[in-house]
Amino acid sequence: MKLRTLERLTVLFSWAAGLLLLSAVTLLLGYLFVKGYESVNLALIFGEAAPLRAILLQERVFNGLFPAIVGTLSLVILSIVWAIPIGMATGIYLAEYAEPRAKRVLDAFFDVLAGIPSIVIGLFGFSFAVFLHKHYSDRIGPCLLISSIALSFLVLPYIIRTTQAALEGIPRDIRLTALALGATKLQNIFLVLIPKSLAGIMSGIILAIGRCAEDTAVIMLTGAVASTGLPRSVFSQYEALPFYIYYISSQYADPAELMQGYGASIILLLLCAILFSVAYGIRKGLTHFAFYRP
Amino acid sequence: MTQDIKIRVANLNFSYRDRTVLQDVTVSFAGNAITALTGSSGVGKSTFLMTLNRLWENVSNAQMKGTVEIKLQHRFRDIYAPDLSVTELRKMVAMVFQVPNPLPMSIRKNVAFPLKLSGERNRGFVGAKVEHALKMANLWDEVRDRLNDDARTLSGGQQQRLCIARALVLEPEVLLLDEPTSSLDQASTAVIEELLIGLKDRLTILIVSHHPEQVIRIADRVVEFADGTIVSAPRT
Amino acid sequence: MKKCRELVAERAFLLSALASSSITVAILAFMVFMGLPLMRQGGLYQLLLKPWAPYQGSFGIYPMIMGTGAISLLSLLFAFPLSLGCSFLIGSIAPKPAGRGFRRLIELMTGIPTVIYGFVGIFLLVPIVRELFQRGSGLCILTAALVLGIMITPTMTLFFCDSFDRIPRTYLDAADALGASPVQKLLYVILPAAKNGMLNGVILSLGRAVGDTLIALMLAGNAVRVAESVLEPARTLTAHIALVIAADYESPEFRSIFACGVVLYLFTMAVTFLVRYLSFTKDTTV
Repeated sequence: MKLRTLERLTVLFSWAAGLLLLSAVTLLLGYLFVKGYESVNLALIFGEAAPLRAILLQERVFNGLFPAIVGTLSLVILSIVWAIPIGMATGIYLAEYAEPRAKRVLDAFFDVLAGIPSIVIGLFGFSFAVFLHKHYSDRIGPCLLISSIALSFLVLPYIIRTTQAALEGIPRDIRLTALALGATKLQNIFLVLIPKSLAGIMSGIILAIGRCAEDTAVIMLTGAVASTGLPRSVFSQYEALPFYIYYISSQYADPAELMQGYGASIILLLLCAILFSVAYGIRKGLTHFAFYRP
Repeated sequence: MTQDIKIRVANLNFSYRDRTVLQDVTVSFAGNAITALTGSSGVGKSTFLMTLNRLWENVSNAQMKGTVEIKLQHRFRDIYAPDLSVTELRKMVAMVFQVPNPLPMSIRKNVAFPLKLSGERNRGFVGAKVEHALKMANLWDEVRDRLNDDARTLSGGQQQRLCIARALVLEPEVLLLDEPTSSLDQASTAVIEELLIGLKDRLTILIVSHHPEQVIRIADRVVEFADGTIVSAPRT
Repeated sequence: MKKCRELVAERAFLLSALASSSITVAILAFMVFMGLPLMRQGGLYQLLLKPWAPYQGSFGIYPMIMGTGAISLLSLLFAFPLSLGCSFLIGSIAPKPAGRGFRRLIELMTGIPTVIYGFVGIFLLVPIVRELFQRGSGLCILTAALVLGIMITPTMTLFFCDSFDRIPRTYLDAADALGASPVQKLLYVILPAAKNGMLNGVILSLGRAVGDTLIALMLAGNAVRVAESVLEPARTLTAHIALVIAADYESPEFRSIFACGVVLYLFTMAVTFLVRYLSFTKDTTV
């Protein structure tokens, strides 16, 4: 029996679409690597400074990506530090405490929050900084602190959702074991449920880190600049990899600077790829780790 | 009743995730008869049925060894041979599941679905086939006025008969039933048992059953399973 | 003592939930508060439907709304068939191991930073579009929509795959047992049963496309007028915010970006509630 025309066309169309997407992405990444691989070396990161001295902050890096990398890292760490406690606590509340009606309402809030374009969150952060500047202190303007708070708003829904989903996914019998042994609700949450769902929560956190590392729209409004060196404090402006890439693409002065843009893109891409792979790997591995450690 | 052999199974081994489910099963089944497969749950009866229409191949981590031959269109064919496509096989060896599984479409479309898969487009022919299949399944009188209703609005017993009609519409040679009445009440069960007895002149029926009374009521032969192998079977 | 700790913990969890949900409200409130003077001045009508002409005192964001609409809808037009095909491959047409591998790859693609799509777009695609059509600089709606389409395809594909995964096992078993081939199972069972979920995927992807800033900012040319063809430059609401932010805080120009913010926010809300509404309505007969 023969497949009918519609069925044949569907098969053909699907393979064509798959091939097209694959080749588009291969082209995109291939182009980046072919054009940029030469620029990836220590000088790209440290310029003329000695790497060790630069890392120990004894020597300032002028012509390299080091400040942008440090900026991105500190940004990511700060944002995650704000987002994790409140995000996890909210996730726990939704999964374990909230009544159905409250849950529905809160769910709607977080769905909206998750959908808000990052530029709008950036705009919120920016105007909030301006507001503080005018009404409280001249020292506060767009800065690392404001950026990290705005970014934590951006990734909060990720952490809430993954925490909630991980907790709700725990089977009933595991949920009841400790309770049957006389554990309180809180003990059950912290001694059984959270360790059990750690893999899910961790992968959510790592995805959130990836999101912080790659986001450009929020930081371009809230304090990232093209060149300022290492951030001196959380109240200062800072450099960041994605913003640097954006800046170079429109403002590059000479081919050497453009090559730095390619190099920065490759580094950012690798960073995100690593974070993603870790997040997927962790879903399987971590639960065991947390449970069987003495 | 003819005693011709319809299905020959030899040295069948089946494992799932390295756990042996069926071990060295060798058995034959007579044609135009109802054979009941009995035994306590978890001894591999349902798995055995699925080796007869290759449905287990959708399950990952499963492995099968051995030969299964079914007499299709008057000659024995190895159903795992590459020259027989799995979709063709399943049209000749139909299956009905434990829980009725109507597709989310109208009653008519459910029964006509296998015809659609075969590329049949003639509406008059399809209509006649649907009517015939529904009559064979003793469902026609109950649904003739509501063929366009969603199949899921039918009662459980009706749904199961619909699934039987759907399995019969392509006129298969073998009908596999995996505890078809276990989710139904007594009245619905009786209707289905009666219809199965009426069907056995046309095809070969294998039914997994947990109810000794049911086996006595309908089965011509009984094959008993225990621990992944057959402990008693009639000589054929 | 124990009881007290339980109570404190519960209060803390509740407080966090309230705090994080209040962010959602706070953002909207802030946008409206900041944009209010301009909205009062000219009315909503003026703001949404008038052209952008700062020197004549007109700060309508109409061109930006049109720009956003054009770019995101066009990108959806590219991404939809592509995602459909890819999800078909993963869902049933490709052999199982190949499908799984392809899915992993697509999951990985969702992690590619947007700014990199923009960066490669500028140096790879823009010259091609310029040469091919011999018009303008190559920075245009088409370029941005193409790249944006590639960017949202992995997400949309995963949404589609997800709605395929949620189809009850019994439907698939029924189709298999009746001798359906993979493509028949896809066309006659999976697709009809998954269409609500897929609609959700399309809507959410549209939300992503509208909310993206960098690709349009880097590739669409950012001209503030309503484009007449896809080869002309345009500016999106998101790019407008990024471009005007440097202006004076008190100027009406600056105020207008809050109108953009409000529009984007309300759009997000519409998308969210539409999806929630669709998820709650039951699937219907085919």
